[in-house]
Amino acid sequence: MPLNEITIVKMKILSIIYSTDNIVLCIFFKDKFKMLNSVIKRNLFHILLYFIIISLVFVFCSSTYALEKKSRVLKNEYWEKIIKKASGQTIYFHAWGGAKNINAYIKWASNEVIKKYNIEVKHVKILDTSNVVARILSEKTAGKNKNGAVDLVWINGENFSFMKKHNLLFKDNWIVKSPNTKNMDFENNPGLLNDFGIVTNGMEMPWGISQLNFYYDSQYLKSPPRSALDLRNYIINNKGRFTFPQPPDFVGTSFLKQILIELMKDKSVLQSTFVKKNHEHLLNPLWSWLDKVTPFLWRGGKNYPSNYLALTQLLADREIDIGMAFNIAHASNAISEGKLTKTVRSYIHKNGTLANVHFLSIPYNSSKKAAAQVFVNFLISPKAQLKKQNKAIWGDPSVLSVNKLQLEWKNKFINLPRGVATLNNEELQLKLEEPHPSWVKAIESQWIKKYGSSK
Amino acid sequence: MNLKLYNQFLKVTLILLSMIIIGPTFFGILGLLFPAFGYFPSLGSNNVSLKYFYDLFLIPGILKSLLLSFSTGFFATFFALLFSQIILLCIFNTKVYYYLKIIISPLLALPHITMAVGLLFLLSPSGLIFRLLSPWLTGFNRPPDFFIIPDEYGLSLILGLVLKETPFFLLASMAAIEQFPAKNIFKIGKSLQHSIFSTWWLLIFPNLYKRIRLVIFIVIAFTASVVDMALLLAPSTPSTLSIRILQIYQSPELNSIFIASSLALVQVFVILILILFWFLLEKIINQKFFFLFLIKTLPRKKSFIEKCLFTIGVFLILLSIVGIVNALFWGLGDSWHFPNIFPDVYTLDHLATFLYENKSIMFISLFIALIVSLISIVTIVVWVELCDHLSFQNRCLESLIFIPLFIPQISFLIGVQTFLIKVGFQSYLISLIAIEILYVIPYCFILLGPALRGVNKDFISIGASLGKNRVERLFFIKIPLITSSLLTSFGIGIIISLSLYTPVYFIGAGRVTTLTVETLNLAISSSRQDLGVATAFQIIIPILILLIIVYTNKKFTKWSF
Repeated sequence: MPLNEITIVKMKILSIIYSTDNIVLCIFFKDKFKMLNSVIKRNLFHILLYFIIISLVFVFCSSTYALEKKSRVLKNEYWEKIIKKASGQTIYFHAWGGAKNINAYIKWASNEVIKKYNIEVKHVKILDTSNVVARILSEKTAGKNKNGAVDLVWINGENFSFMKKHNLLFKDNWIVKSPNTKNMDFENNPGLLNDFGIVTNGMEMPWGISQLNFYYDSQYLKSPPRSALDLRNYIINNKGRFTFPQPPDFVGTSFLKQILIELMKDKSVLQSTFVKKNHEHLLNPLWSWLDKVTPFLWRGGKNYPSNYLALTQLLADREIDIGMAFNIAHASNAISEGKLTKTVRSYIHKNGTLANVHFLSIPYNSSKKAAAQVFVNFLISPKAQLKKQNKAIWGDPSVLSVNKLQLEWKNKFINLPRGVATLNNEELQLKLEEPHPSWVKAIESQWIKKYGSSK
Repeated sequence: MNLKLYNQFLKVTLILLSMIIIGPTFFGILGLLFPAFGYFPSLGSNNVSLKYFYDLFLIPGILKSLLLSFSTGFFATFFALLFSQIILLCIFNTKVYYYLKIIISPLLALPHITMAVGLLFLLSPSGLIFRLLSPWLTGFNRPPDFFIIPDEYGLSLILGLVLKETPFFLLASMAAIEQFPAKNIFKIGKSLQHSIFSTWWLLIFPNLYKRIRLVIFIVIAFTASVVDMALLLAPSTPSTLSIRILQIYQSPELNSIFIASSLALVQVFVILILILFWFLLEKIINQKFFFLFLIKTLPRKKSFIEKCLFTIGVFLILLSIVGIVNALFWGLGDSWHFPNIFPDVYTLDHLATFLYENKSIMFISLFIALIVSLISIVTIVVWVELCDHLSFQNRCLESLIFIPLFIPQISFLIGVQTFLIKVGFQSYLISLIAIEILYVIPYCFILLGPALRGVNKDFISIGASLGKNRVERLFFIKIPLITSSLLTSFGIGIIISLSLYTPVYFIGAGRVTTLTVETLNLAISSSRQDLGVATAFQIIIPILILLIIVYTNKKFTKWSF
């Protein structure tokens, strides 16, 4: 075909394209369409699949986004509601009130929440948490299911296990609803959700971490005994210079547990419930240790200090050589308060010492649960936890995960100075797991029978 | 008709007034008795049984606790009575006698807990006495491991109680002496060639004893069941009965309330037995042969024993004063290491922080004390007036107000607490005030009742003849006449209310706290500096109140007869 013809044909075609309808086009490009058709037909399934997948992904994304947005709104709304409800409420926070620095810290926190949320927190200074448990129990038995005397309680271990067993706690998994739990690393710290091996089920909020530690005056004692056996020899060689708080005091009982764990061969049994007929003989190493040691204790083992703070005073007076505490910064605090000399140092046993988490929980019959939740949320905020970890204030390690915090807070946490008598994290690495709470009762009642009621 | 209605109304008021005392007492006793016998329907226990009394004796060491309570109650009362009489007989005819009241009133006004703290600071191995003697005499560079305070047999508890109750007996005896011609009897004894010592025991004491018997029984009941002092001074393995009751009551177990209530009932019996025992001793001493024996053996001249006992008595009073002053030093001192006699550094920091942290507690303590004392006084005045108006002569009802003093505080309060929880009463403050009134009214009544009734009837009839009605006669004649007693009993009411520990601990349930409870918390937690400061306030507030009373007495007493 000559070129002219071709161009004419092209022109015609173009004119046809522009002037006629699609059918003509179809006829004209039949072949091409056929090809396309076959391609489409062959890959129809795949194409459809792609389409479906893409649309599904899109729908999914958009819906999750929407959901997320919605849930975030919901969560905020929930929390807003709680804050609104909490405003103007007065809560009674039952917490051990023996230590001045802790009381001062709680006072600071209450001043903060009254400014921020208009919640009044009244610290009810108690001497033994089990009394609070007894009170809530008696309220429950008397049918007082509303307006309970206690709105928030500082608790862990057997007291928690008892309250959980008797349904004395506010459930509803309330701890997850507190916005500040986002800074806690529950996956890598299962201890935050387990209290002495008992699952907390969101009934108690982690507040701080503690580990049994001992302290001594390095001026007079060069190398402190770092195991149960060494300690036994030390006590026998230094009559009247060692004692522990009288069980059922928390620290006193913990000390007995510590010795038991060190003397026990098979420690795994401690994680199961104490059964009297199976497990009673397992306590024998502890009793024989105590039988040897008790006559050589302070006051011949006939009188014991009432709590761990009394040990501080006794060490300051040099009545005893070794003190103990659960707060790792206790010795440093006492030094900065002028109660102990600057030469006091801490140590733990070479196989590690008992470590646990202490919690906050809300009784079931509190009528001010909202305010209690808001206060708890404040207590686990970076601000409050930083202050708590500060050795000049309390020195109780934070429950927050430093890596989850914003950079500003992260730096503040990392730069916190440690007290002169506080062990560093490497030295505190060796931690012993708490036995099942049922062992506490067994150890306490046996101890009281054997040593606490002079035969 | 109208007058009859009015009288009816007054009678109802009288009954209502008596309910202030009888109501809580009655419910307290009920709240104790039901659980003690295992009856507490909401705990699912409907059948009355003696089961818990059997269970009691399975509690480890309970017998020793019983014995401790028994011996404390007996010996503390006995020695306090003995030393009060010794001191009194030695200074009865001297000038010191007139100053005695001034010396002992502050001691009397102090809460028990303060005395215990003073003793602790003084006698413990790291206390002042060992500091004074170390190391030049004893060679101790560090406190020795001596089991002194608290000790194994509760001796330091007895000592603490003797220190606190001796001034109480002194005051009661001084009031009683004025009721009979003691001076004349004294002269008769001397003319019969008796020494002061034997005159006192043979001639004056029997007369005196009759009049202070009630006080003695109150002291027995109190000392055998004391809580606050025992927490500090009693041995802890095991402790006295009242502490055991407290521990059991507060342990989280389902049947703890039953066991604690039955144990509390056992404590009531311990006190009953103690009082019976005292009766028995009275009977023995009352025999003729005993008197003859005494007459033969008691020396006619000033004897060595007498001097010894007097020295010990004075020493005891000095001990309490020194202990208290030492506690003040702890409040002001810092870094005070053994064996330094004085603190290295003096500071007001502890005082300032304590004031800052506890100002609300101090305010509420004073508030409660004022309200309680005021209500008590008004109740007593109205009661006496109404009795007078209705010529109601039955004194039986009046003796009921002393019941709370005879029931061990802890037993009674457990009952009240059980009752309050059962009823679901909400206000801790109101219930605390109601309970404190029970403990304040008896003491106020002892002072105020006789004064009100002792007003010369002639003045009243003159007032009546001048056309003054009853209210006018009360306000314009009676009250001005007894201003001094009125103010004194008002002050005593405040002081007693301030020093109460167990009622606040139980009924306040931590929500309402007073300075006394706070001091004990500090004492147990062993922050000596804070304890020193708290003790200082415990000393200063009652003494200030005493001074105010003395001052206002002088100022407002216009005339007296």
